[in-house]
Amino acid sequence: MANEKKLFRETRAYPVIFMLIITVIFIGILATFYQLSFTKVQKYRETQLKKMVMSTFELPTQNIENDFTKYIIIREMEDLMYYESRSDSILLGYCFPISGSGLWGTIHALLAVTPDFEKIINLEIVDQNETPGLGGRITENWFKDQFKGKILINNNIFNSFVLIPENETTKDSEINQITGATASSKAVVEMIYKDVKKYNLKLRIDL
Amino acid sequence: MKKKEIFTTSAFTQNSVWRQILGICSALAVTNLMLNSLVMGLGVIFTLALSGFTISLIREYIPKRIRMMVQTLIIASYVIIVDLFLKSYYPEISKSLGPYVGLIITNCIIMGRAEAFAGKNAPIDSMIDGIGAGIGYTLVLLLIAFVRELFGFGSLFGIPILGDWWTKWSIMVMAPSAFFMLAILIWIINTPKLKRG
Repeated sequence: MANEKKLFRETRAYPVIFMLIITVIFIGILATFYQLSFTKVQKYRETQLKKMVMSTFELPTQNIENDFTKYIIIREMEDLMYYESRSDSILLGYCFPISGSGLWGTIHALLAVTPDFEKIINLEIVDQNETPGLGGRITENWFKDQFKGKILINNNIFNSFVLIPENETTKDSEINQITGATASSKAVVEMIYKDVKKYNLKLRIDL
Repeated sequence: MKKKEIFTTSAFTQNSVWRQILGICSALAVTNLMLNSLVMGLGVIFTLALSGFTISLIREYIPKRIRMMVQTLIIASYVIIVDLFLKSYYPEISKSLGPYVGLIITNCIIMGRAEAFAGKNAPIDSMIDGIGAGIGYTLVLLLIAFVRELFGFGSLFGIPILGDWWTKWSIMVMAPSAFFMLAILIWIINTPKLKRG
């Protein structure tokens, strides 16, 4: 018996069969873990996104499930998806997903604007892979809050934001950029332009 | 070898980072915050302990020629479990660690321990060796992160320590400081040994 077994282990088929069996076992274990965590991860992502949409409209996020259905309507127009916020049937504004390439990867964000596209209501960063501590600071409140209430379109002309060093005080359309992360700061400003233009073109026809 | 000896050898005397200069990629990457370093360290300890145990358990059956493939498969599985665990229970930390959790798979320490220890020793011993190496690694991460977070952010574990008067050293947050810090650490720890030797 022992002799036979040894012979089998020396055959060419043994490594293949061994690898096959061990792969099946470990993939099985992983699939189980994945299934167990899937709903949890998914739920967290959804809630996070809902919270962000709400916060771009500066709406409360404590009672997210109820408030989201109360204030937000998800709309689709051709291939564009956006959120519409209404409070007592008054249109508060639009929020749309924007994205652009940062230093290390794509930055995804949400931007809410007033119904006439004139002003930014708020900006939220959904997903980014910028350098932690540098470009990663685009998620910090002081940076995002700078966009609050900024004029976006003035007399049908796009207002251009000017980036200035971090410690200087800003005027009208100036944005403090992050020290050591010019590329990431620039990326945020540029993606606002690019995508606002896209949504503005499509949505304005409706107005 | 006694269990205690196995532990101290892999954690200190043969520390993976300062003696063997392994696993330094991640030691450079995640050490600008203490919390990230700690979580990263725990992930590595978990992976090292369990992959060592598993590999040692089936070491008699692993065909020699494909042992690397088998080791990588086992290591990768545990790392994915760590990643899924963080994603579902600590999504914030998972987010800030970004791709580095997944990159534990390629951490040379784990492969190194699997090759050098788990493939030749009993399961429990391999597990102790793994925990030791993991703790040694975590220790280095925390030491570097301590200096980098303190000087770079003026805080420790996110709690502000140095007041507003402190001018944050942005170099400490950036990658170059990790090189300096790691080099200085290795230098300090190894100097007495080299003098003696």
